[in-house]
Amino acid sequence: MLYFQVNNRCNGCLACLQNCPANAIDVQDSGAKRKLLHNMARCARCGNCWRVCPQQAIEFQHLLTNQWDEVVELELLCCRICGEPLYSPAFSQALAERTGASIAPLCARHREALVQKVNTHFAGFLSLRTGKDEVMP
Amino acid sequence: MIVGTIKPLEEIIVSVRGYQNIRIVGCGSCVSVCLSGGEREAKMLALELSRKVHHENDPPAVSVDTILRQCELDIIQAYHPVPEGIDVVLSLACGAGVQTLAEAYEPLPVLPALNTTFLGASFESGFWREMCVGCGNCLLTHTGGICPVARCSKSLLHGPCGGTSGRSCEVNPEIPCAWVQIIERLAKQNKLDQLSAIHEPRDWRPAGGAGPRTRQRTGVGGSPGPRDHLGDLWSS
Repeated sequence: MLYFQVNNRCNGCLACLQNCPANAIDVQDSGAKRKLLHNMARCARCGNCWRVCPQQAIEFQHLLTNQWDEVVELELLCCRICGEPLYSPAFSQALAERTGASIAPLCARHREALVQKVNTHFAGFLSLRTGKDEVMP
Repeated sequence: MIVGTIKPLEEIIVSVRGYQNIRIVGCGSCVSVCLSGGEREAKMLALELSRKVHHENDPPAVSVDTILRQCELDIIQAYHPVPEGIDVVLSLACGAGVQTLAEAYEPLPVLPALNTTFLGASFESGFWREMCVGCGNCLLTHTGGICPVARCSKSLLHGPCGGTSGRSCEVNPEIPCAWVQIIERLAKQNKLDQLSAIHEPRDWRPAGGAGPRTRQRTGVGGSPGPRDHLGDLWSS
């Protein structure tokens, strides 16, 4: 969907183009056709086009609230227990490279539950080996 | 950009005490970029104000809106009407935005949730420094692009004071001396001789002090005046 939209009252007078401080509106006249162009990267969303349009043809609301653009789609690793989506394999790998240890994909809730279970199960052993009775998550 | 800092939560809570239906309005421009009054901060403030712990009775209903620029009356009026039942608006815009919103929503009370602090720039993530005081008579042409009015603690115009310590300001060693910076910059540009130029006494009248300053640009939209592309850009 376009951000800069005009309704059918637009008569091509180019008041919007002449008053755009960001040079975000352009026109192409080709043969017997006039094409109005808009460049969102230049647009300051200042509303001048909307203010000056003698036809009230500019639907400025589309420049205030518009749709989300899809940027990229990535595969995700999910929690092994509950299936909650977590992070991408590439993120997991980057994390492993930084921390020097790869971690199993678990959501925060199940990671905590697992650590508690391990601590309970090996409490005596851990205490004997490390002087502490728990492992860090 | 205009840099702002969100007010202390206690102050905001006191200001909205007694209101039952609060509309928090973030601003999508300068204060969004300086991470103090945009949509994120508006939502965070709404969450905080909804907590029971801040209120003697039931917490008020809190809703959120974000306006691209709160300093443009016509866009607010056309696209951001206040829903029925709101009894106070809490604005996260700069002072210009709060006042414009108050104008648009009159007689509804519009209260500030942000302190407008300065015109500044960001040189590292999460840090802003004052660069301009809006004096209305820019002298950066003569000072190597470094403003002594904004960046010298004493706003000196004729070189460093006797308190310059090394490259620092005597007010605080963490403040670099603006005049040392100016001299170094001009030396790099081989333009130190600019500092020997004699200037007329500075006109401080554009800095304000005689009521709100205004700017009229004719030839824009339906306003009277020249209709060429530049309007009266250079007229006096």
